Amino acid sequence: MRRLLWPSVALALVIAYPLLFSTPFQQRLGALVLLYAIAASAWNIVGGYAGQVSVGHVVFFGCGAYASMAAYSHFALPPLVGIPAGVVVSVLIAAIIGVPTLRLSGHYFSMATIAVAELVRLIVTNTDYLGAAVGLSGPTVPRTVLDLSFTSALPYYYLFLSVLLITLGITWWMANSRMGFYLRAIRDSERAARSLGAPASRTKLYAFMLSAGLTSVAGALYAMMFGFVDPESGLGILISVKMLIMAALGGAGLLFGPLVGAAILVPLEEISNNLLGGKGAGLTFVVYGAIIVLIARFQPGGILTLINRLWARRRKAPATTVTAEATHAP
Amino acid sequence: MRFKHVLGLICAASIAVALTGTASAQDKTVKIGAIYPLSGNAASAGVHGKAAIETAIDIINNAHPELGNLPLTKNAGLAGLGGAKVEAIFADNQGSPAVGQNQALRLITEEKVVALNGAYQSGITLTTSAISEKYGIPYVNGESVAASLTERGFKWFFRVTPVASDFAKIYLDFLKDMKAAGAKTDNIAIVHENTEYGTSVASVITSVFKENGLSIAQDIAYSANTTDVQSQVLQLKDKKPDVVIMVSYTSDAILYVKTMQALDYKPPLMMADNAGFSDPSLIKTVGKLAQGIFNRSSFSIGPPGSPTFLINEIYKKKSGDDLDDTAARIMQGFFVLCDAIDRAGSTEPDKIQAALKATDLKPDQLIMGYRGVKFDDKGQNVLASGLVIQLQDGENYIPVWPKDRAKTAPMLPYKGW
Amino acid sequence: MSSILVQVIVGGLLLGAVYALFSSGLTLIWGMMNIVNFAHGDFVMLGMYVAFVVWTLLGVGPFLGAPIAALVLATLGIIVYFGLIRSVMKGPMLAQILGTFGLALLLRYSVFWGFGANFMTLPENLVGGTYDVLGIRIQASRLLAGVVALLVTLGLHLLLTRTSLGSKMLAVAEDSTAAQLMGIRPDTMQAIAWAIAAGATGIAGALIATFFYIAPTVGETLGIVAFVTVSLGGFGSVPGALVAGLLIGVIESVSAYWIGAVYKDIVVYSLFLCFLWFRPQGLMGKS
Repeated sequence: MRRLLWPSVALALVIAYPLLFSTPFQQRLGALVLLYAIAASAWNIVGGYAGQVSVGHVVFFGCGAYASMAAYSHFALPPLVGIPAGVVVSVLIAAIIGVPTLRLSGHYFSMATIAVAELVRLIVTNTDYLGAAVGLSGPTVPRTVLDLSFTSALPYYYLFLSVLLITLGITWWMANSRMGFYLRAIRDSERAARSLGAPASRTKLYAFMLSAGLTSVAGALYAMMFGFVDPESGLGILISVKMLIMAALGGAGLLFGPLVGAAILVPLEEISNNLLGGKGAGLTFVVYGAIIVLIARFQPGGILTLINRLWARRRKAPATTVTAEATHAP
Repeated sequence: MRFKHVLGLICAASIAVALTGTASAQDKTVKIGAIYPLSGNAASAGVHGKAAIETAIDIINNAHPELGNLPLTKNAGLAGLGGAKVEAIFADNQGSPAVGQNQALRLITEEKVVALNGAYQSGITLTTSAISEKYGIPYVNGESVAASLTERGFKWFFRVTPVASDFAKIYLDFLKDMKAAGAKTDNIAIVHENTEYGTSVASVITSVFKENGLSIAQDIAYSANTTDVQSQVLQLKDKKPDVVIMVSYTSDAILYVKTMQALDYKPPLMMADNAGFSDPSLIKTVGKLAQGIFNRSSFSIGPPGSPTFLINEIYKKKSGDDLDDTAARIMQGFFVLCDAIDRAGSTEPDKIQAALKATDLKPDQLIMGYRGVKFDDKGQNVLASGLVIQLQDGENYIPVWPKDRAKTAPMLPYKGW
Repeated sequence: MSSILVQVIVGGLLLGAVYALFSSGLTLIWGMMNIVNFAHGDFVMLGMYVAFVVWTLLGVGPFLGAPIAALVLATLGIIVYFGLIRSVMKGPMLAQILGTFGLALLLRYSVFWGFGANFMTLPENLVGGTYDVLGIRIQASRLLAGVVALLVTLGLHLLLTRTSLGSKMLAVAEDSTAAQLMGIRPDTMQAIAWAIAAGATGIAGALIATFFYIAPTVGETLGIVAFVTVSLGGFGSVPGALVAGLLIGVIESVSAYWIGAVYKDIVVYSLFLCFLWFRPQGLMGKS
């Protein structure tokens, strides 16, 4: 029962957060942390668990974002309706490019994902149906609650929290399944895994497709919250990098790594922008960049691995104290 | 599973977030939010805009009787609010619509600004004004030209600057006049960057021209922030258009000017749609290679002693450059907003909105060369206008059209270097 | 008609030579140390700013600007190596991406902070003007950059293949444990490799500044081009970077002229993707 105590407390706090920190800005910040955590967690499936560092994941994010905005712009449907379409398209893309790309190792794989993402961005920039360079907008005034265009960030917070819990649930289920077992083997040594009979190519492909689908959901949610998507904000390479960095910062391949990473980076960005951005000297990014460098330098495994290690060390301490007291008892 | 670690981090993050929730004391200061690109590719424009707003604040908060009929200059502070001072809270939109929106939310709900100004890039103005509309906060924009901004049925958004279709008409009439004066203007090429700004302006120009019998012979689109433009210039050199219209931000604009010189290409008539070609850094770096380029503007510095000249002197001390059209428009937007707050005599959003709707500024009350400021029910200033300026000596833009507002006659053909 | 086409191709070759010039440093460290350096474009940017400062303070062009940029960047390279790279090298590729991305931001915005957002250029005809050679316009500054690209490629190639330092560096790249057993210190060799690569990048930046604009955000624009060039040429192959650069330059120029500028990147990326899928080792990389 004790094992469930801490997780329940943490969950309760996460649920209570927007009620405890209830200014619109704080609520929105929380919602943003959760949104990026969803995207980073989705990335984590293929980047962390499978060890395939995709730097072009934004293509799936963009699928979801554009699908939801297109549902509104072209068919006057609630953007929500676009989510299944976005998922289908991104899983298809993942399947099509996954086959030739997942064969590649390390840097080549990353480069290929960048190339795919940039290609899609360039094509969309020149496609009028998808808004070309101007982009697509969502409903400015919500027609029904299904439009998911809220003034307050509170509904977004709980919506994103639910989606995040589902995403983490799927990840956890996958990690503990046979697929997860194969992925760990592949990540450690693909050759060895193959020689032991693990269906490496198929496993990686499934992980890629799963990750793609979840990422597109994150993209759709983003578009609905901001009410707008254009090639830069929906398919720009910076988004891929952010997903990656949050997962890496928190701890790639760990279930809660991306959430930790998002919980650090999103407020960090906002706060440094709030404090320093207005001065116009670019100090926001100097601070932001310096912090990332420091973390990469001193804790390349991510913050969560550091915390795990510290916690493991602390666990040992009480035992020695008890022994000492016992020997010194009068 | 380490929930406790997540907990610890969320606590840490929350503490940090709580620190951001600073409620500000309400004293006799009127706080206005200003969201501009203070980093990223458009930072040059944003930083100049910031200096322009700081100049405006300097003028409003101190008595400047030498500035004639311009509102808010005679007394220190806002007379309508008992001499209250104006303060601008700047936020960096980082060139991203999402960041812009977040900052708008922060300014409205945390800093409790009474109104917003910004955000330069039309796509960001789109998202940030959506927030102010939801919260019922007045938003005055002086510089974004995408038509869609005033087509959303918003009640709290007001735009002071002319829009792309106004400028297209200016170019049209200007070219007609040049044709009457003997220049060839039949073969027109538009070179534009493939972003929201470039494509929307280019398509507006194309359709306005088409309605009036002028067709665009060449439409050269290119990706912004490119490494090289030789092929595009060679396409122009090959087809030899009579008129080239450039729609670019600064980085590419500089490349185009340099490449045209390298490839020895001079169109007979070269026009630019503001943006990069109005940037002081372009003039400083390659101005001498682009002598004779036309541009649109609604601002000119004016003769020594004139109010605009004196304002420029103050601005120069803050920014190191002369006021360019974009910075001037930003400043004008800010003045219009403060004038409305002054007339409202209150910081209540409804009263400011009503005062904005009732705005009726005359030309001598403006730093821009508009025919006045009066908003229609879409929030667009119907008296906005512009003129054509020319970089004749490679250092300064001078108004050359229409005749009644020109300082000198247009110089043709394009001289280049 | 055809003289314009020749101009397009010549322009493409010169452009490609520039791509090769600023990519050679990247391929060196990538091949030697298997490091993906997201901050590479910003190293080029720093080289440009050094050239600008040299011009402003001493009134001299790239003949002094390039060597000084090489020295400054090499020093920075050593600092970055010992400060960051050595640690992240041991980590997963993710850590490298994380660290070098942070470094890129740090460098870019430190320059922004110091020099402001304004765009700057070196005087137009600093290295001579534009010459008309048989009807083709050739900019002296780009020609110089092209020649230097060839020299740098040759120099790095000779260094790696003909000098004892080079063979030590290659030994470390091949198998650092074995190299250690043979008395070579991997740390020193890798630091030297970084310094040389950074120095070459500094030279590239100083020369590019003679015909391009100078701004803190230049790194974003040039960085991705370097990545594509290096991948296409083959990681670690300096001659490969040269050939790939020239190829990309010509393809870009010709597609921009024939199909349209917005499509040139689509062509290059498609070609790039095909290579990655069917010949990942690039043009001249090891299989």
